[in-house]
Amino acid sequence: MPNFNLTLSPSQVEFTLKPSVTIIQAYEVTNNSSQDITLNTEILPWVPVGNNGSVNYLQAATSSDLNFSLANSDLKIGQPFVLKANSKQQLVLKIKTSKEINLSDYYQTFFVYQNQNPLNKNDNFSQATGKIGSHILLSVSNTENISIKAKLESFKIFPKIKDVFFTPITFSGEIKNDSTYFFKTGGKIIITKNDSPVKEITLNNDNVLTNHYRSFSCVDSCKLNTPLWPGKYQVTLKMDENLGIADSSYSFYILPISPLLFILLIVGIIFGIKKIKSSLQVTH
Amino acid sequence: MKIKPSLFLISLFFLSTIYHLPGRQAGLRSNISFAQTFDSASFHIDWGNFNMTSGKKSSANYTMTDTVGQNAPGQYNSAGYVVKSGFQYIYEKSIPFSFAISDLDINFGYLTPNVGSTATNVLTVSTPTSHGYEVIAVANHPLTAIGVNITIPDTLCDSGSCSESTSGLWTNNSTYGFGFNANGSGTTSYFTNSNYFRQFANSSSGENPQICMSENVSVENNSAIITYKVLISPKQPGGTYQNSINFIAIPKY
Repeated sequence: MPNFNLTLSPSQVEFTLKPSVTIIQAYEVTNNSSQDITLNTEILPWVPVGNNGSVNYLQAATSSDLNFSLANSDLKIGQPFVLKANSKQQLVLKIKTSKEINLSDYYQTFFVYQNQNPLNKNDNFSQATGKIGSHILLSVSNTENISIKAKLESFKIFPKIKDVFFTPITFSGEIKNDSTYFFKTGGKIIITKNDSPVKEITLNNDNVLTNHYRSFSCVDSCKLNTPLWPGKYQVTLKMDENLGIADSSYSFYILPISPLLFILLIVGIIFGIKKIKSSLQVTH
Repeated sequence: MKIKPSLFLISLFFLSTIYHLPGRQAGLRSNISFAQTFDSASFHIDWGNFNMTSGKKSSANYTMTDTVGQNAPGQYNSAGYVVKSGFQYIYEKSIPFSFAISDLDINFGYLTPNVGSTATNVLTVSTPTSHGYEVIAVANHPLTAIGVNITIPDTLCDSGSCSESTSGLWTNNSTYGFGFNANGSGTTSYFTNSNYFRQFANSSSGENPQICMSENVSVENNSAIITYKVLISPKQPGGTYQNSINFIAIPKY
């Protein structure tokens, strides 16, 4: 049966470049299937949507000041080529900025997609085709040291009061980018109790795009698992220094609700048994 | 004065929790290591390390990286820094971005009115470290009879309200149309269970391609079964109905 199985590497590239320069990026596309496949390439601009790294292609405008081409001698963008079964092909992408280009960010995806096979005319069927993309984040600037304006939009701890057992404490938040260029989130959530460290959660280096916002994610998980000792816990959000966001402190409380309920239940049972025993003695 | 046992137990519990202090974590110890130097009357050579052999070896089935005799290889952590010392640590384990569709021909066979026809294939995704992904689906047009402009309408599900962006329950044999379900990794935000279906976005109508599978963390060979369902009414004209469905995999930026 025909199938599609491609690997595209790298999955994302990020460049800061000046106007009127050309850069080259090599991609490797691998056909992991046991069948030859006819592929094609295209570049599409996108805009970010939502707060977790999603994109939209329909709302984005193409910039005439950016020029993309393939440096491969036998290939152009939009030209079909055959990739043999279990083989690789290097695609060398050339990106050129014009002299007049606006100094800002440009977001594109380099796509490698499957050319559609002719349909079998005798069957009722849908034919699936595959497409795989690699993002290109370009910052066009005259200086290497881009100034950024980051803002902590929100930071939430859920729940703020909870039992020593059961569900974990979850941390979430959003960073806003009020500048012309994208930057990476980074930092730590430090949890302490009575000034002693409990856990340090490292934030992922997620991209926050220009005039957009992003909810931060954590290297392992943005959660503090139970069981936890009862008391007041301090949470410090320490963002990377280059973001210029001041440290902020929060707190949450752990209460021994379930152990107390358990003790009360045991005490209740003991009293109940005693009461039944005494009432039985009275009747006898 | 007589103390009630319940009050005593509760007080004891509070005392034990209030005065508990978690133990401090052991501090990291640093090791000092020196590079090798070779001196003569005319030359001074600095060696980054003093090893006998190193590199990347491969055979048909294996790839091996090695360094023999190197000083102080390993990972050294401290507050704010991670030093990965030694050639082994150059080779980061990273999964490349891959996307697979198990079967490209989705054959519904002979369509019988009031009897649902289904077909399935499997989408599989792997992403590099710190990247999630999303798979977007779009059809070129509704299922259309070849040569004549007759289509099988997109399903509206049992409630009559599902669309390309909202899924709905579709179990009723008198609800006609064409739709799909995704069941597996990264699909629960889009389909409640395997009985929920939605329409494919149609590019011919200018509809926005819709996400049918996504995750925010890096994954390795995470897969979802796509079930395509067609149910035609007795009034549907005969013919061979076809369309093309494009699945697009992109990383989260």
